[in-house]
Amino acid sequence: MALLKGTLDVLVLKALSFGPMHGFEITRWIDAGSDGAFTIEAAALLQALHRLEERRLLTGAWGITENNRKARYYSLTPAGKAQLKTETASIKSSVAALRAILDAR
Amino acid sequence: MTDDERKARELFELSIHRPDLAGADADAELQSLLDEHIHELITRGRSPEAAREEALRHLGAPLPSVTARVHRSAEHRERRLKLTDLVEDLFADLRYALRTFGRSPALAAAAILTLALAIGANTAIFSAVNAVMLRPLPYAEPNRLVMLWEQNPDFNWYMQDAAPANMLDWKEQAGAFADVAAYPSFPSNTTLTGYGEPILLTSQPVTGNFFDVLGVRADQGRTFHWEETWTSAPRVVILSHRAWRTIFGADRALIGKSIQLGGRDVQVAGVLPESFSLPGVDVDLWLPVRWDPASRAQVSFRRAHWLRVIGRLKPGVALESADAALQVVVKRLQNDFPVTNTRMGAGLSPLHEFLVGKTRLPLLVMFGAVAFLLLIACANVANLLLVRAAGRERESAVRLALGAGRGRLLRQSVAESGVFAAAGGAVGIALGWWGTKALMALQPAGMLPVTDVSMSWAVLAYAFGATVLCAVIFSVAPTVWTLRRVPADVLRDEGRSVSGTVRARRWGEGLLVIQVAMALALTLGAGLLVRSYLLLLRVEPGFDAHHVLAVSINLPGFRYDSTSKVAAFYDALQRETRALPGVENVAVVSEVPLSPPTWSSQFAVEGREPILAGSHVVHREMSPGYQQVMRVPLRSGRLFTPADREDAPLVVLINETLARTYFKDQDPVGTRISFDRVPDSTSTWRTIVGVVGDERQSNLGEPVRAEFLAPHAQESRSAMNLVIRTQGDPALLIPAVRQVVGRLDPLLAITSTRTMEDVRSASLGRDRFLTVLMLSFAGVGLVLGIVGIYGVVAQLARRRTREMGIRLALGANAGQVQWLVARRGLALTMIGIVAGISIALGTTRVIRTLLFEVAPADPVTFVMVPLLVLLTAGLASWLPAARASRADPCQVLRSD
Repeated sequence: MALLKGTLDVLVLKALSFGPMHGFEITRWIDAGSDGAFTIEAAALLQALHRLEERRLLTGAWGITENNRKARYYSLTPAGKAQLKTETASIKSSVAALRAILDAR
Repeated sequence: MTDDERKARELFELSIHRPDLAGADADAELQSLLDEHIHELITRGRSPEAAREEALRHLGAPLPSVTARVHRSAEHRERRLKLTDLVEDLFADLRYALRTFGRSPALAAAAILTLALAIGANTAIFSAVNAVMLRPLPYAEPNRLVMLWEQNPDFNWYMQDAAPANMLDWKEQAGAFADVAAYPSFPSNTTLTGYGEPILLTSQPVTGNFFDVLGVRADQGRTFHWEETWTSAPRVVILSHRAWRTIFGADRALIGKSIQLGGRDVQVAGVLPESFSLPGVDVDLWLPVRWDPASRAQVSFRRAHWLRVIGRLKPGVALESADAALQVVVKRLQNDFPVTNTRMGAGLSPLHEFLVGKTRLPLLVMFGAVAFLLLIACANVANLLLVRAAGRERESAVRLALGAGRGRLLRQSVAESGVFAAAGGAVGIALGWWGTKALMALQPAGMLPVTDVSMSWAVLAYAFGATVLCAVIFSVAPTVWTLRRVPADVLRDEGRSVSGTVRARRWGEGLLVIQVAMALALTLGAGLLVRSYLLLLRVEPGFDAHHVLAVSINLPGFRYDSTSKVAAFYDALQRETRALPGVENVAVVSEVPLSPPTWSSQFAVEGREPILAGSHVVHREMSPGYQQVMRVPLRSGRLFTPADREDAPLVVLINETLARTYFKDQDPVGTRISFDRVPDSTSTWRTIVGVVGDERQSNLGEPVRAEFLAPHAQESRSAMNLVIRTQGDPALLIPAVRQVVGRLDPLLAITSTRTMEDVRSASLGRDRFLTVLMLSFAGVGLVLGIVGIYGVVAQLARRRTREMGIRLALGANAGQVQWLVARRGLALTMIGIVAGISIALGTTRVIRTLLFEVAPADPVTFVMVPLLVLLTAGLASWLPAARASRADPCQVLRSD
């Protein structure tokens, strides 16, 4: 299943709200969280990460994975946390509205 | 970028964003993502090949296209972040600069104070320069206004007051002028009655077209008409805005009503706008000159010169063509009126130039002095910043090695300079605001011929400009030094880089030489003024100023309309004052010494050929006993006695200068003279009865002019000065004298009361003011220069402490090692002194006209001042050297 347009950013922010992660961990987290419903393409994920970092919602830094490999770890900035809050609220209300319309009989 | 590298870069406040590295970074990230995925798939049991294939498939697009997309987004990110970093860097630079302040607050405060003083002095002086010289006169089209004046080689006249008849002819005959107006060069006094106690007001008579020529409209009512120039018109008066407000309570109903001036009803025609002022003239009332139309034909109307004449050029007429038109009229008058005008010339200058002419030079000198001061302060702060930059040598080198752009380091030193300059500028402008007020309050009366010297946008812009200039000047040296630095050298030498510090030292020493040179030039200028002032103080005024009170009185002509009434008043005044307790002696005189003469003429000696040129002499009138009151010595003959009455033979006294100039070794006593250039049968002859000592006239700096003294009884004047020699403090007598005057004439207000000590002191006011200002500027400059020497030598001593320690350990004596360091300071001072003397020799010529009997290259000054500087510089060099040499050699060698 493809993601709804514009929701990848907020999913990334949500993932990182649990702590710093590198790209593949984020993919796995979304994968697990959606029970495999959403598949994230690597290119899209990296671009999203770069975009969010550019907006100073994330900071990226190189670190070492559990497997002793180099990976770029991302963590939320205070601005990122705030953004996550407002995005979550707005998506939830959109979804509620959508559901109300689609459930109409 | 590795994490360690990143941390190092962050530590040194370098940008961690590198668009050039973004591609490689993105590749590595993509690779790590793939690797993680492959690793996971393998742990689930796939073969490496299959795992790799699946991971690649999972990318969502072919690898090259994914790589390209990720590159783009990463580069975009780095570029954007770098840009916002720049802004943050700027703040970081400023924070960094402020932090370095915090580390040595005393040093920073000293630097900021130095700058603030210099910028403050510049601001204050510039506000005066702006008000006096740059701001246009507050009249309509002021560049069309010119001052017309007369000149006569026979009298040594240049830019002199004009005669009224000549002025009227210029007005009517010179076609280059739209109109010509005039005002007497001295204001008058008039007494206002009907508003409580009689108030003495200063009034300025003007021709009726005066305000029209200036293009000034009345704030209320009207200005004068040309017809009001003459006695035929009814009496009218125009009030200054200040007088209208303070004396008449800003009463709008006053216009058209009459007020009592000198006992006569005068109609108030109007009130001038508040903004109106005439430089050098600060009066309460403006009155028409009220000339008698009949007097135009009289010789005296062309012989007496007492008018300032202002002309308005017709639109588009150049100064030169107006002058040519004026010369035509002058030639005609020379032909038509040979008795008075044979050698009488005329000329014109722009009004503004004429009005500020005398103030221009002192102002420019002060302006130059503060400019020097600013440069010295800049050099001082630059040196300080340089020392700090050198102290951070190693840190800067590390940052360069880590890839900090030189641009970044540059920005940092500029930011530091900027913070210093901004702080100095802000405090300086505040000081300048205060200094401007102080300048106006402390200036000798009338020195700055403007009333409104205030901070304006022009002044603020100047102060801002000076601040920016400072920032630029003192960032230059550290900047150039930064750019030329080679990090490898610094790091290799373990922070004791030879090349770098040598370069820094050269810059610092160059700055020091500039400081010393500037400070010396400034001090030489001030020294010349001081010497000139000291010589002025030593000038004998020709009278004894101690315990003498001078009271000026001006009897209104219409109430004292005969010489006998005037004489009766002054006789009574002297008699009653003499009877006051504490009074030793009393006399009256038309002008006290050290005030400008008001009457001059030519003269002829009986039995000699008329002196056609160069026989211009000044006149005074006095009562018998004047010389006793003022203690002026009698050189030969006799003084006036009460017997020299109106009906007695006419007599005069002459001063020594007149006797020396015109009688050489001949005894003038008994000779008869006349006040006509070419005497005829109608001439009045007077006998010289004595020669008295010279009294200085206008001021102490001017040579004494030849002078005739006449008895007041024989040559009556309504405006006189009562001079009183007292036993105690003369000022204590003022109330009693006021009572006497009030008893004799209740409607009369005293013009002024001054002790002769005050008169003497006031006559030196301008010189004293300029000298004190220059001396303070020079003092500050000199202190800064000396501090600079101290700083440089102290630096040097610190650097060579080790070497000095070794030398001491090897048996050198303290003096030898001190000399090692101190000689550098002295050598630099010598270079600075030579440079300073050359600057001074080139510039002190400018102040030649401000100097009294001192040459601009006065040898005494040019020897004493450099010696003084050398001496203090020697001390400033020796102190740090001595301290360094006292350090314990063992300890010095053990450390680092």
